[in-house]
Amino acid sequence: MSDMKQPEQSRRDFLSLGAKAAAGLTLAPGVVLYTVAQAKPDDQAVSNINRWGMLIDTTKCANGCDACVTACEKENGWGNSGSEKHSSVSQKPQWIRKVELRHKETGEQHSLPMMCQHCETPPCVDVCPTGASMKRADGIVLVDRHICIGCRYCMMACPYKARSFQHEALTDQSPNAPRGKGCVESCTLCVHKVDAGDGTTACAQACAAEGHNAIIFGDLKDPNSEISKVVAKYATKQIRADLGLNPGVRYQGI
Amino acid sequence: MKRLIKLLHVLPALLVLTLSAPASAGDSGPVIPKAVKGDQCVEPTDVMRRNHMDFLKHQRDDTMHKGIRTKKYSLKQCLECHVPPQDEAKAAEGEHFCKSCHIYAGVRIDCFQCHNTRPEKTAKFHPLVTPAMQATKGLHSPETAALLNKMAATKNTTGAAQ
Repeated sequence: MSDMKQPEQSRRDFLSLGAKAAAGLTLAPGVVLYTVAQAKPDDQAVSNINRWGMLIDTTKCANGCDACVTACEKENGWGNSGSEKHSSVSQKPQWIRKVELRHKETGEQHSLPMMCQHCETPPCVDVCPTGASMKRADGIVLVDRHICIGCRYCMMACPYKARSFQHEALTDQSPNAPRGKGCVESCTLCVHKVDAGDGTTACAQACAAEGHNAIIFGDLKDPNSEISKVVAKYATKQIRADLGLNPGVRYQGI
Repeated sequence: MKRLIKLLHVLPALLVLTLSAPASAGDSGPVIPKAVKGDQCVEPTDVMRRNHMDFLKHQRDDTMHKGIRTKKYSLKQCLECHVPPQDEAKAAEGEHFCKSCHIYAGVRIDCFQCHNTRPEKTAKFHPLVTPAMQATKGLHSPETAALLNKMAATKNTTGAAQ
């Protein structure tokens, strides 16, 4: 065996090994410290120990910049794919979009990304007749496209206009985000990255790469996470908080 | 006597073959491409042939709803070993491990309406068929190990793992 070279272990495997080692740190017999846990072991189900969310600082979000949108398109394979030939712009899926706001009286302007808000009590899940629209234990709202019948009730129920319907047959989808004709789709909070323990999303990464750092992704239930610290310190808002949906995506500066 | 029993065992098979011969004239069965990596699947071949859809469906629900992403029965992992990556696809176009058999058997495959038909480019091998794993299972064959290692050394290592 000694003369044989092992295939290279990937960075992700290495990281997940590290995280597994760090996940349960035994301080004394019976006393286990669970703080560093980011990546869960592959065979472990997600749990409500975590609540994944995002905080968007609209004062840092640049007008006219759409790096988050482009990054999401690339990561999840929607957007400028040539395979949707018959759909108009308004019909094409849009997982995340930039919204420009202007206060009528003061003229104050804001720019912010809008996507699935990953509600604690999602109306899309309430109305789904098949159970395809669902919320994971860790707060990520997804469409199980294996059982989605494409009725689009969820699209009507969503107050954030976050969901899209795929009208056309697709080929060469992103391996991260299987998607196809006749199903509803929306932001997955980069669930494949979350499960892999990356601890970030494509949009947050792109925003940081642009130098804006307007998007913080993290665990709202972990008091030591960056997002929890900022949320505890500054006033943040949920959009349409009056609906009582408790979205996991919060905004600052609006 | 032993010979006679053996003959009796073979006889029905021969009979079936002779009877079905005219029906399947010119039909050589599906063209199933050989696995790209490794030489052993996660389960014995006959089990996989009969039950792969059950394994996949069970895994599908676990992954979707519980975030369980074990690799053993994952569809991505099927492609990882059985189908050449995106940029090596040109040579083998039209020969897809899953599709060629499904088309032959008249199975309407739903997986690939949404899932990509090819894996990402990666230098990783299935955890169950790496040389280390084979050695621990006593299935180690030097030729295979040498081949796998040669592939590991030459393959592009920049691609994301899974």
